[in-house]
Amino acid sequence: MLKQYPTLRYILQRGGWYFITFVVAVAINFYLPRLGSNNPVKIIMGNTSQGLSSEAVKEKEEKYLKEFGLVKVKNGNIVRNEDGSPVKASILEQFISYVGMCFKGDLGTSFQKYPKKVLDVIKEAVPWTIALQLPTILFGWIVGNVLGALAAYKRGIFDKVFFPISLLLSSLPFFVFGMLLVYQFAVVWDCFPAMGGYAGDLIPTFSWAFFSSAAYHYVLPFFSIFLIAAGGQAIGMRSMGIYELGTDYIKYAKWLGLKETRIIAYLFRNAMLPQLTGLALSLGTMIGGALITEMIFSYPGLGMAMLTAIQNNDYPMIQGCTLLITVCVLIANFTVDILIGFLDPRVKAGLQIGKGK
Amino acid sequence: MKQFLTLFKSPMFVIGFSLFVGTLLLALLGPLVFNITTERVGVQYAPPSGKYWFGCDDLGRDYVSLLIKGLQASLYVGFLAGIIATTLGTLLGIYGGFKGGLVDDIINMVTNLFIVIPSIVIIILISASFSEGRSLTLIAVIIGMTAWTWSARAVRAQSSALKSKDHISLAKMNGANTFAVITLHILPYLASYVFMVFILQVATGILTEAAISMIGLGPLDTVSLGTILNQAKNNGALSDGIWWAFLPATVIITMVVFALYLINTSAEGVFNPRLRK
Amino acid sequence: MAIFEVDNLSLHYLTRFGKKIHAVTGVTFNMEKGEILGIAGESGCGKSTLVNGLMGLFIPPLYPTSGDVRVNGESLMNRTPNDIRQNVLSRKVSMIPQGAFNALNPTRKVKDIAADVMAAHLKNVDKKEIYDRLVERFDLFGMDTKKVLNSFPIQLTAGERQRSVIGISTLLNPQMVIADEPTSALDVTTQKVVIRLIFDLLEKGIFSTMIFITHELPLLRHVADNIGIMYAGEFVEYGTTDQIVFDPRHPYTKALMGAMLSAEPGQKQKKPTAIEGAPPNLANPIFGCRFADRCPVAKEDCKKSEQEIRMVAGRQVRCQYAE
Repeated sequence: MLKQYPTLRYILQRGGWYFITFVVAVAINFYLPRLGSNNPVKIIMGNTSQGLSSEAVKEKEEKYLKEFGLVKVKNGNIVRNEDGSPVKASILEQFISYVGMCFKGDLGTSFQKYPKKVLDVIKEAVPWTIALQLPTILFGWIVGNVLGALAAYKRGIFDKVFFPISLLLSSLPFFVFGMLLVYQFAVVWDCFPAMGGYAGDLIPTFSWAFFSSAAYHYVLPFFSIFLIAAGGQAIGMRSMGIYELGTDYIKYAKWLGLKETRIIAYLFRNAMLPQLTGLALSLGTMIGGALITEMIFSYPGLGMAMLTAIQNNDYPMIQGCTLLITVCVLIANFTVDILIGFLDPRVKAGLQIGKGK
Repeated sequence: MKQFLTLFKSPMFVIGFSLFVGTLLLALLGPLVFNITTERVGVQYAPPSGKYWFGCDDLGRDYVSLLIKGLQASLYVGFLAGIIATTLGTLLGIYGGFKGGLVDDIINMVTNLFIVIPSIVIIILISASFSEGRSLTLIAVIIGMTAWTWSARAVRAQSSALKSKDHISLAKMNGANTFAVITLHILPYLASYVFMVFILQVATGILTEAAISMIGLGPLDTVSLGTILNQAKNNGALSDGIWWAFLPATVIITMVVFALYLINTSAEGVFNPRLRK
Repeated sequence: MAIFEVDNLSLHYLTRFGKKIHAVTGVTFNMEKGEILGIAGESGCGKSTLVNGLMGLFIPPLYPTSGDVRVNGESLMNRTPNDIRQNVLSRKVSMIPQGAFNALNPTRKVKDIAADVMAAHLKNVDKKEIYDRLVERFDLFGMDTKKVLNSFPIQLTAGERQRSVIGISTLLNPQMVIADEPTSALDVTTQKVVIRLIFDLLEKGIFSTMIFITHELPLLRHVADNIGIMYAGEFVEYGTTDQIVFDPRHPYTKALMGAMLSAEPGQKQKKPTAIEGAPPNLANPIFGCRFADRCPVAKEDCKKSEQEIRMVAGRQVRCQYAE
């Protein structure tokens, strides 16, 4: 029955795989911070237990242990050993309670901002990250690929000037470029702000003043990511384009006397596919790089949230951010995969005919 | 071997190679030329002068010393991570691509899994959990263990294509076991490809170390180019215009990575004739 | 008047360092309506360069040295690339490339590729008209027309793709079609279908003349009216099929026929590399006969004098000692 709808089958197949990946990612996300010998509760206790009586300290400790799922709980009460000390929860039990909490939408409580919930902090930060990263990566991909295709087709002077510049741009990490931009435009020429998402004395509201301030603060971070992303895509597309130019179907198109614009369209449409695949593969890295750029600019997105979390050993916060980032990357990858499925007839055909055509 | 000598005919390669060797020499011979010290020698954020060419940091340490030590560290991490990533990736890629079938499917699945899960996330999580004992080597290992996916995929594609070539089938028919076939027949073909993969992995290693150190999850016991940047950022050097705190480190990172990219691109042009024109 | 005339055509490449490579020298032949000319020769003999020249595609680094190519009296020389693109390609001279089934854009349906061809050369044709014309033409090909036109190349069999390419190349009824190894990668049954199709189209007047390039001698025998044997950029022998195959006069042709005809009939022929040695490097100045180094009957002065075309036993031969 499903054979009739190869596209649907493809989507389900990819979806299934992504689900498995998601499960693994959650497991990794859970397990890795526990690699070291850190006991998060000890850290909090270190901060907050000054000047308390030993009884109060014990009570507080148990409260945290319970909250962070580190001890066995039955009916809301801590299960105790014979000597009254709490029974430690096994890794598996911790994992289960972690997953359970995640599904309830509870990503834990932030250490440094206690008692603020991780999810709340993330909710404030995410819009800024999406507003910055979605356009930059999207437009960076489009513009970069178009320029790369043109460079491949035209060659000549366009290529000789364009190629080294793109190569240089693509070897700069986002954050390095960000730093340079900040230095040049914010410090030396002082025409753009160096930090923040909006002016320090404003509060996020739907006002014109706020939006214009936000836009003003948007410029430098935008360009740090956009230009580098475009440069990287251009380089890749140029190689891809040069390769495609040597293919039989382009040669045939030229022999048939097709218009130049049509041939470039053929080129782009075909070279775009491996570029999309490449995008899917590098999305994780790109988003990572963009996050670090946010940190440079103290831009109030997930990057900053994670940075302050790292600096304060705020494990739930770090975990919450990484989980969200992973989820976003997975969703983005899935979207690109589906897009490729629609755009490349060979993918669909591959499913119809079976493996190994 | 001869293939590698032809690389020197490409001007791009010569430039990249010289640039890279230059930085290597600086890292290795620097201490002989300059007086390297991590002691406090000057005023906090003293600007560059004849005595201290790149000024001093916020603790009054000479930047030239810091930069050279940082370069050493970053190159070390880059190479170690590169070796680990390339070895792991190449072995898995060759094995999967060559064997095919179930083995290939399993390796593929694991590779894809780790490609999609952002490596930066994994690195951050691991680094953060080691609040003590973060050394350069540890960081290099972590980076290497997350970067292998990309080389595995690339090498697998090549290896899979080679599998069907005539002389490989011939060797197999003559009863050579898998290991022999791989080392004697496939590796020589892949040598140039693996070389390019290695170059890129070193570059990635350097960049990743810089990034991770910059956000504060770098090595705790040594100076690296990334930690220099981290320090600059934390002390607000960026917005105060103290350019010698971050610009030199930035330039060095860029130069090294750019040199490696040049080497890679020119190698690609030489080894893959279709890109030549 | 002949449909297609080639008059002492010579072509060269200009390398980056200013060196001239004389890829094609002094090719002359005419083609009448309904004629199929076979061209045979080993790899590197200049076939591909000649083909580009015959289509008027003088794209740097390829340049015409001298000579003329005429379709229905109209010369292809000294015209702008856009003129050639718009008025010559697909309309007067068309090409069915080697490996034709990879020649179709994998991300485009067959009908769209064909429509692109029409759009590039005709003005103001409306979509419905285009589709009807396509169906009408493709119905001659013995395939499930509707299915093929609406498919992507990957969904078609090799034979269907080959025929689609033929259909697209002959869509605008060119005077001359150049087929470069059109059947070499097909199975025997499909080969027969394609050959029969070519004859059919020729008969119907869809195109007027054809140049058929192949290594396979039995095929040439079956298909070609005349044959030109190419070596190192020149036609070393040119005559009717019977003359060339059964009564070769040039030493190279003789060696070629000997190497080719030794296999059983019906078997695929191997490429003619059984002759020892290699063709000369055309970048260096050439003195005398180009085949002399490999020729079994070469004499002292073969390398000293330019070999002119002589008429021997009713056909052109480029050898001063042939008889």
